[in-house]
Amino acid sequence: MKNKKRQSTRNYLEATARQRISDFLDKGTFCELFPPTVGVSSPHLHYFSIPRSFDDGVVIGEGMLGGFPVAVVAQEGRFMGGAIGEVHSAKIVGLLKRCLRSRPEALLFLFDSGGVRLQEANAGELGVAEIIRALLDVRATGIPVFGVIGGSCGAFGGAGIISGCCDILMVSEEGRIGVSGPEVIETNMGVEVFDARDKALVWRTYGGKNRFLQGQANELVENSVAEFRAAILRYLPCPANYSLESLEKEYKELKKRAEKFSGSHDALEVWRKLGFEEPEKIPALTTDELKMLREKK
Amino acid sequence: MKAKEILEKIFPSGFAVQFGEQVFSGTGETSSGTIAVIGTANHPVLGLSIILELSELLLRVMRDTPGRPILMLVDNDGQKMALEDELLGLNQYIAHLVKLQDLARRRGHPVIALVYGNSCAGGFIGFGLCAGQTYATPDSNTSVMILPAIARVTKLPLEYLEELSKTVAVFAPGVDNFERTGGVQSVWEGDLNRCLEEALQKEQSVDQRAELGAQRGGRPLAAKISKQIADA
Repeated sequence: MKNKKRQSTRNYLEATARQRISDFLDKGTFCELFPPTVGVSSPHLHYFSIPRSFDDGVVIGEGMLGGFPVAVVAQEGRFMGGAIGEVHSAKIVGLLKRCLRSRPEALLFLFDSGGVRLQEANAGELGVAEIIRALLDVRATGIPVFGVIGGSCGAFGGAGIISGCCDILMVSEEGRIGVSGPEVIETNMGVEVFDARDKALVWRTYGGKNRFLQGQANELVENSVAEFRAAILRYLPCPANYSLESLEKEYKELKKRAEKFSGSHDALEVWRKLGFEEPEKIPALTTDELKMLREKK
Repeated sequence: MKAKEILEKIFPSGFAVQFGEQVFSGTGETSSGTIAVIGTANHPVLGLSIILELSELLLRVMRDTPGRPILMLVDNDGQKMALEDELLGLNQYIAHLVKLQDLARRRGHPVIALVYGNSCAGGFIGFGLCAGQTYATPDSNTSVMILPAIARVTKLPLEYLEELSKTVAVFAPGVDNFERTGGVQSVWEGDLNRCLEEALQKEQSVDQRAELGAQRGGRPLAAKISKQIADA
């Protein structure tokens, strides 16, 4: 019993990809595809003297979630920051293609990636494009794709773009989403454009709270695997929604957001315009407190 | 190559294109009829406003001329790197632009991208690699990151990377490397009108890039692995 309690509150941020999957799915139902025992790793990393990993930083497979059959992708941020290379992306594409035949109730994509792996930049870049196309194939046949972001590498670069292609996005306060991270912007554009050492600014910009308050993420969830699991179960079963109408609606929302917050240099300004009278208090609020405050708006 | 120059070569039978500062759009004539043209010029970076402009053009083609082929003429210096754009969710804006191209293809619009200038990183994903087919001109530049920056990140000597890039296609910038890895279907040379006419006849329902990458030796494993998993 004690063990069960510990497991049900496992810290999402600190868990490995395999721990996340095992806590997410119904006990004992996970079946990994293309596991490390297949023995295929990156054919490119040896040029850069980087030790390989036999899962290439991503775990894929199938299992049950609340009795529903699901397919799962979980990136492992501990291997090269979950970066996307040839084998990594091919595994994800393979699972997505398999979904067209196996017809799960949903696909879960547990992001934990800084984006394209520079040592395999071209393969990673193409891999991102191939993942997007295969993911949209899955959605186009009616299977919803849930994105979960709460790992230490967040979802940046190509991974951030893939996250924008999901049906439903769940994020914890600790989950960050973006294209160019703060260090990349500072290195390329200068410290006056973005001071990457200003951690509070970094969190206000990329962090889960900002993404949730602007409607980029559908749900803000406590940093626990069990909470993410419960949040997804509240949605299942549900259809995917990928149509001209859904994109027309998204276009209007994105245009409105760009106009309404044009010229904002800080999330505090955005939150104030959203109607929060004391935006400077938001970073210190708990997830529940913030959700209650938002309900009132 | 300048946008006007390339339009003249691609559409000898005529085109009607309006030029904005960074975005141009209109129509071009081919032997199989009128096609839509949406392009960028003067290598802009893709930030919120230009993405919305391009998105609206794609939506308009889907709404007003169902099934009309779309030629995207690509020139960009990547995604915009700015706090303001990241603050409002640039990733979601790029994803939106990508989904529009994907949905257009699904709705029966052949979507062809031709990189005639630069295309890098998030800009290449956002406008280039998510068309139904991607081509490039020989003088164009496609990249994720330039070699000196890769050297900095990987802490390897630039000379080593330069030497390695001569035989390994998987990491170094360049249209040739993207062709060898399967991301660029082919390089358009000579009669560009004929290149377009041929591309318009191609089937777009299957993503062939991993297969091409294996055949051309630039990406040895991707096709095999994804097929093995899909069929297991």
